[in-house]
Amino acid sequence: MASSEQIAAQILNTKSLSVSQSWLNTLLTNSNSAQRNIPASALTKTALFRVLASDFRESLTTSPSTVLPVDIIDPTVQERRLQGPIPVQVLDIEDIGTSLWSQVEAIERVERGEAIRGREVVRTIPMGDDNEGADNANGPAPNASGSSGYGPHRLILQDSAGTKTVAIEMKPIEGISLEKLSIGAKLVLQNATVARGMVLLNPGCVTLLGGKIDALDRPWKEDRKKRLLERISTLQGT
Amino acid sequence: MARKILCVAEKPAIARAVATHMSGGSFQTHAIRGNQYVKNYEFEFNFGAPWGNCSVTMTSVIGHLTGLDFERQYKGWLSCPPSSLFEAPVKEEVDKDKLPIAENIRNQAKYSKALFIWTDCDREGEHIGSEVRNQAKTGNSRIEVRRARFSNTERAHVLRAAREPVELDEFQANAVAARIELDLRIGAAFTRLQTLQLQAVAEILKEKVISYGSCQFPTLGFVVDRYLRVQNFKPETFWGIKVMLQREGKKVNFLWKRVHLFDRAAVIMMLERCLLAKKAKVTKVNQKPKSKWRPLPLTTVDLQMMGSRFLRLDSQTIMKVAEALYTKGFISYPRTETDQFDKAIDLKKLVEKQFPDNRWGQYARELMDGKFRTPRSGPHNDKAHPPIHPVSWVNPSQLNENEKKVYEFVTRRFLACCSDDAKGKGTEIEILYGEEIFHANGLIVLEKNYLDVYVYDKWESSQQLPNFEKNEMFEPTEANISEGKTTAPSYLTEPELIGLMDANGIGTDATMAEHIAKIKEREYVVVNKRGSGRSSIEELIPTRLGIALVEGYDNVVAGLPNSISLSKPFLRKEMELRMLEICAGSKTRQEVVQQSLDMYREVFIHTQRRIAMLKTACRKYLVDQA
Repeated sequence: MASSEQIAAQILNTKSLSVSQSWLNTLLTNSNSAQRNIPASALTKTALFRVLASDFRESLTTSPSTVLPVDIIDPTVQERRLQGPIPVQVLDIEDIGTSLWSQVEAIERVERGEAIRGREVVRTIPMGDDNEGADNANGPAPNASGSSGYGPHRLILQDSAGTKTVAIEMKPIEGISLEKLSIGAKLVLQNATVARGMVLLNPGCVTLLGGKIDALDRPWKEDRKKRLLERISTLQGT
Repeated sequence: MARKILCVAEKPAIARAVATHMSGGSFQTHAIRGNQYVKNYEFEFNFGAPWGNCSVTMTSVIGHLTGLDFERQYKGWLSCPPSSLFEAPVKEEVDKDKLPIAENIRNQAKYSKALFIWTDCDREGEHIGSEVRNQAKTGNSRIEVRRARFSNTERAHVLRAAREPVELDEFQANAVAARIELDLRIGAAFTRLQTLQLQAVAEILKEKVISYGSCQFPTLGFVVDRYLRVQNFKPETFWGIKVMLQREGKKVNFLWKRVHLFDRAAVIMMLERCLLAKKAKVTKVNQKPKSKWRPLPLTTVDLQMMGSRFLRLDSQTIMKVAEALYTKGFISYPRTETDQFDKAIDLKKLVEKQFPDNRWGQYARELMDGKFRTPRSGPHNDKAHPPIHPVSWVNPSQLNENEKKVYEFVTRRFLACCSDDAKGKGTEIEILYGEEIFHANGLIVLEKNYLDVYVYDKWESSQQLPNFEKNEMFEPTEANISEGKTTAPSYLTEPELIGLMDANGIGTDATMAEHIAKIKEREYVVVNKRGSGRSSIEELIPTRLGIALVEGYDNVVAGLPNSISLSKPFLRKEMELRMLEICAGSKTRQEVVQQSLDMYREVFIHTQRRIAMLKTACRKYLVDQA
C-alpha cells in the first residue's frame, strides 16, 4: 500500500497542492480497514477527490509562498503580482455582466417550469431590425440556471490560511460559469496580477481543478434568489 | 336544356365578384326569401370538359351555416355540474338566422348536376364547404361535389379556378370540426365553473359572465406577464468605459466590447489599466460590403404586426380592411402563412399593373427597366395561398382612408420584395487599450434600392470614420467612466402580442386578431394610449379581473407536478399541433378530441378542487383592491 507521503508527493507534483499529512493520515486510517489492497494510483485518485471536496483550510498545509498576502484586498495598491502557485477555493461567484433583476427573472422562469420543460415561452420577439445583413449577433438566451452566461464573473476566493479575496474573470475561462462552477471548487493561481485588491483571472494564470464543498454549495444554490433580491433591495435603498 | 351547376361562396361579396368574372358582367340577380344579403346570380358559363356550357347559379353563405351546441337538457347554467360538459351529448344544427340560406342551397341543389364550392381556401373555408355540401346533398343526394381553388378574385385566376376544380379536403374540415367541439366543451365547462364560483366573490362580478376560452386565456397571460414584469422591475446602475479620439477634425467614439458591467470597482480598475497602458493599438480594420435585406413576401402575421406598427390600426381593423380589399379584387387573399412566391406567378405582370400610380408608378417602371429581382423566399408555405400582394391597381380616390393605408402598405411591400437589397459599405475598427477591447463602426449607404419604395424601413449612413492603419498605436483623446440605469420593459403592444401568439402557437393567423379583440371586449385588458401624434403607442394593460384570473389559475396548479396553468400557452399549443395531425391525416378527429379533452379535464379537476385559490385571487384584486 502507498504511504501517505507518496500520495502527498504525487498530489503536490501533479496538482500543486500540499496536502497536510495529518489530514491525509486521518483519511487513510478511516478507509484503511475496508480497502487494504488498493493500488497506489487508485488510492491517490480517491485522496485527490477527497481533497477537492474538502475545505482547504483543513486539508492543506500553509507556507508563505502558497497563500495570498493578508492585505491582498487593499485597494490602494495599484498592481502587484502573485507568484504562487497558490491553491484557493471558490466561496462565491456572480455574473457582473447581467443585472441582478434579470437574473431573478430567469430563476423565476425556471421555478415556473418554463425552462425545465424545454418549452420556453418566447417573451420577446425581434421586431423590424431582423434583416440587417450578416452581423446580427443576438445575445445568448438566458439558460436554465438563470444566468445569461455573458459574464464576466466576480469570484470570492479563499486560500488555505483563510484569507479571502475578490477575483475578476478578465478573459473567459472554460469552466467558470454559474452552472459549471460549484461553491468550494478549487483552483490554483500562478503569476496572477492583483489590481486594486482584485485578482485578475486569465486562462494563463488559472488552473481549474474542480470539486466542490457540498455543505456550502447546496445552501448557496438554494438561497441564490433570496440573496439577489436582498441585494436589489439594498441597492434601491441607497 | 343546359346542365345546371350550383356555386356557393363564403360571402355574398365573393359570390358577386366571381359571378361578375364568370358571366363577363351580365347576370341576373334574384333575392332569396328570408335573407337580405344573400343573392342568387344566374348566368351561363363554359366550364370546358367535362361539363361544357352550363347554366350557373352562384350564391353564398355567410360564414358557418351550422353551430354545435349541447342538447337542451344541458343548456341551463344550473342544469348539470359543469364537469359533465366534457361528455354531454352535442348536436350540430343550422343556426336559426341561417335557415333561409340553407334552404336556398337545398332548393338550388335539387335542379343541379353539380355543386362547386367557392369558400375561402383555408381550414375554416374547407369546413364551411363541408356544411354547404351537407345541405346540398340533403336537397339532392346524387349531386356531384367539386371545390374551386382560388386565392384572389382577379379575373383570369377566377376563370382558371372554375375550370380546374379539385376535391374538398376532408382532413382540414375535420380539424375544424374537432376544434369547434373542443372550444365548445372546454369553453363552456370552464366558463360555467368560474362564473358560478366567482360571481359571489365580488359585487362587480355579480351579473357578469366570466368567459373562458383556450386561446383567450394564454393571450391574456402574455399581457399580464408583461404587466407584472414592468410593475416588479427594479432599476440598477451600471458602468461602462467610453473612449474618444479626435482625428482629422472628427470625433470618433469607441464602444466598449463589454458594453457595461454592474460592478463599479471592477470598471474603475479596468479603466485605470487602460490609462496606464497610455496607447491603444488598432487590432482590426475591416471594410466590408454591407446590405440591408429587402423584406420577405408578406404573410398575415406580418401584415398584422407591421400594420399595427406603421399604420396605427389595430390588427382586427387591418384584417377587416384587407378582407374588403380582397373581396373587391385589389389584393390577394389576406390569410396566408406563405412567405415565398411560387414560380408560376407572373410577378412582372403584377409590377406592371402599378405603373399608373403617381406615388410608386415610376418606381415600378424602374423595376421593369432592369432593376427587378426575384423575391427572397422565406421558410413558410401553407400550400394554399401565395403571399399577400396587390392583384390590380386601384385609384386611391376609390378607397376609404384605412383601405388606402393598407393597400399602400401591401403594394409597397410587394414592390420592395421585387427590388434589390440596399447596399452599403461598413467599416469596423477594433482597438486594444490596456486589456480592454473597443470598437467603432461606420456605415455609408451606397444604394438605397428597395428603401426608396419601402418607406417603413430606415437605414442611414453614420458619420464617416477617419483613416486607421492596422497595428498603429495612438493615444485616445479621452477615456471616461459612463454611468446608466437599466430600464423597465414597456407594456405589451399589439404587434408584440401577435408575435408572441404566433411563436407560441396560440390561434391561427386567421383568428389571432379575434382573440385579442375578445379579451378587450371581456374587459380583461384595456388599451392605454401613451404619447401623442405619430410617436404615440397603444399599450395593453390588464384589468384587475384579468390579473386576478391569471394569478388564480397559476396558483391552482402551483406546486402540482406536470400541471400547466391555463394562462400559459402550452396546452393550447399541443391542441393546435394535434389539429395539424388531423390535417396531415395521421390522427382522426375522435382521437384528437378525446386526447385534448383528457388534457383539459385534468386541469379542470384541479381547478374544481382548488377553486379557493381562484376566489382568493379575485378577492385580493377586486375586493381588497390589492
